[in-house]
Amino acid sequence: MPKLTAIMIVRNEGNRYLRRCLDSLLTFADNIIILDDASEDDTPEICLSYPRVNLYRQPHSMFLSNEAELRQKLWHYTLENKPEWILAIDADEFLEESFLKEVPYLLRQSNFKAIGFRLFDCWGNEDNFRIDGLWNPWLRGFSIYLIQYQPQLESAWPALKFHCGRLPLAYRRLIYYESATRIKHLGWANPLAITAKYERAVRQDPANKYMGREHYESILWPPEKIETERWL
Amino acid sequence: MKKKVALLTTNFFNPKGERIITGGAERYQVDFCRLLRDMDFDVEVWQMGDNWTKEFDGIKIHGLPVNKTEYQTFPELNMGFYENVMSFDYTLYFILSLAYPLVREKSISISHGVYWDWPGFDATTGKLAIKQEWLRRMELSLAGPQKLVSVDTNTINYFNATLPSFYNKWEYIPNYVDTDLFLPLEEDLRNDKIRILFPRRMVPVRGINETMRAAEILTKKYPSIEFHFCGRGHDDTIEMLMSQWASKQERCYYYWKPFEMMPEIYQMADIVLIPSRSTEGTSLAALESMACGKPVIAGLAGGLSDLIIHGYNGYLVKPSVENLVSSIEELINDPKKRKLMGERGREIATSFNKKTWHERWANVISEVFR
Repeated sequence: MPKLTAIMIVRNEGNRYLRRCLDSLLTFADNIIILDDASEDDTPEICLSYPRVNLYRQPHSMFLSNEAELRQKLWHYTLENKPEWILAIDADEFLEESFLKEVPYLLRQSNFKAIGFRLFDCWGNEDNFRIDGLWNPWLRGFSIYLIQYQPQLESAWPALKFHCGRLPLAYRRLIYYESATRIKHLGWANPLAITAKYERAVRQDPANKYMGREHYESILWPPEKIETERWL
Repeated sequence: MKKKVALLTTNFFNPKGERIITGGAERYQVDFCRLLRDMDFDVEVWQMGDNWTKEFDGIKIHGLPVNKTEYQTFPELNMGFYENVMSFDYTLYFILSLAYPLVREKSISISHGVYWDWPGFDATTGKLAIKQEWLRRMELSLAGPQKLVSVDTNTINYFNATLPSFYNKWEYIPNYVDTDLFLPLEEDLRNDKIRILFPRRMVPVRGINETMRAAEILTKKYPSIEFHFCGRGHDDTIEMLMSQWASKQERCYYYWKPFEMMPEIYQMADIVLIPSRSTEGTSLAALESMACGKPVIAGLAGGLSDLIIHGYNGYLVKPSVENLVSSIEELINDPKKRKLMGERGREIATSFNKKTWHERWANVISEVFR
């Protein structure tokens, strides 16, 4: 069976979903490469308490100033570990359980070098995901999370400070298999964190270069305007 | 030096070249290109697209910047292809109508089944003058190629009754199944649930609407049955609607799986539905279900009657809700019949094995490509 390496950038995840995420990843990943972006909590200790984890640490936080460079560092560390298949995931994203059955087939097939998934944003809790406007997980398409490492492809990132994507550009242009396995995203699941996340998003993108104003505003919509559906 | 084969199709990728369209015909194309490579030919593929070249399974696929269709034919695509493949030795037309108006001397056309039995086809070509023009063009597209290969007898019968002068050009090479990969389970691991599988694209001509209605009726009546809808929708909205519908039903599930996982999906089923209303050849899904030892309830369409003998290895019905409900019920209530029909299906499937398909194609290819 080909090797599967999960890679992620973490920062101050101690009180979030890191333990659950690592537990879940270790059910199918052979190893996990983590770049800690100068956490100020016990995130590095948590990572190190897990088997098959390679932890790299960043002395000063870069995520908000130069995400692309941070991503490139993680990619560099990943290649040092001789990867075969690479899953680029965040510490608040979870592949649903059916992936366990599917993953051996995906890694052994030879037609697709990249696998795309649909991301479902849980909203205010972990049992319901958001479906209005651009939040609709079915209509915004698939994103590539899983790729087969190919030495001949370039490792360049677009020169964007943030929203620069988690894989090198060349990998995001591959023809990919679209998996029915859903990714559950808990980044918006904690209702107390939503306002802070909104403020960060707007601060990062004052000119609405990456997303329309209305989409940012929709983060703060009152519950009666938000449409959700139950995660089953 | 290796001889070069050029194959013309319409959409293997979507016209932008970003997404792959994964239906039976596309799988056929991949397997067919592999067969040609095994016979030591170099193969390249052309389709509609914005001047790009992509690679899939080691085969180059070129997008030709044309998108005009008239009378359900593609003359611009055909001529663009003709001019682009001058340096190739042989040509293959992956759909009959693609061979209109021009073909190279050594060429073969393939039919994957009658597609003009779809009601929408009549709605667009319904007027007599349009229909006559379509038929005139079909006649020309049959005249060019040296051989016409059909995956079912239905296409051949239609043309022999309509344009009889091509009788001697037709070859029947039915679809295939890898009977070493698609196998019955040796040990029955299933529990007391009865699983009914719809392994098709979620489109009306495949009988999806009737099957959903039958699922609503039958899951209410029988607590032991499950309905599994396994396949892609035509677009994202259909997949959304299917997911939403399934989540509101008891014991109805919607998903799809990588091809490599499909033997397992068929093996876990008790009854397989192929309730097509039209546009059908010798369905790969039907053959794969049979090879896994499952009884098949199939629609009266296309080449399904080449695979299913009514009452022997499944049922051939007009796929109305009522007919689906009653034929599924018969099999729910008779486990012995399910088993017997499944065993017969497996036996029939062995005569459609992939090795035989290779041999039959190799014969036709060696007659034309020389």
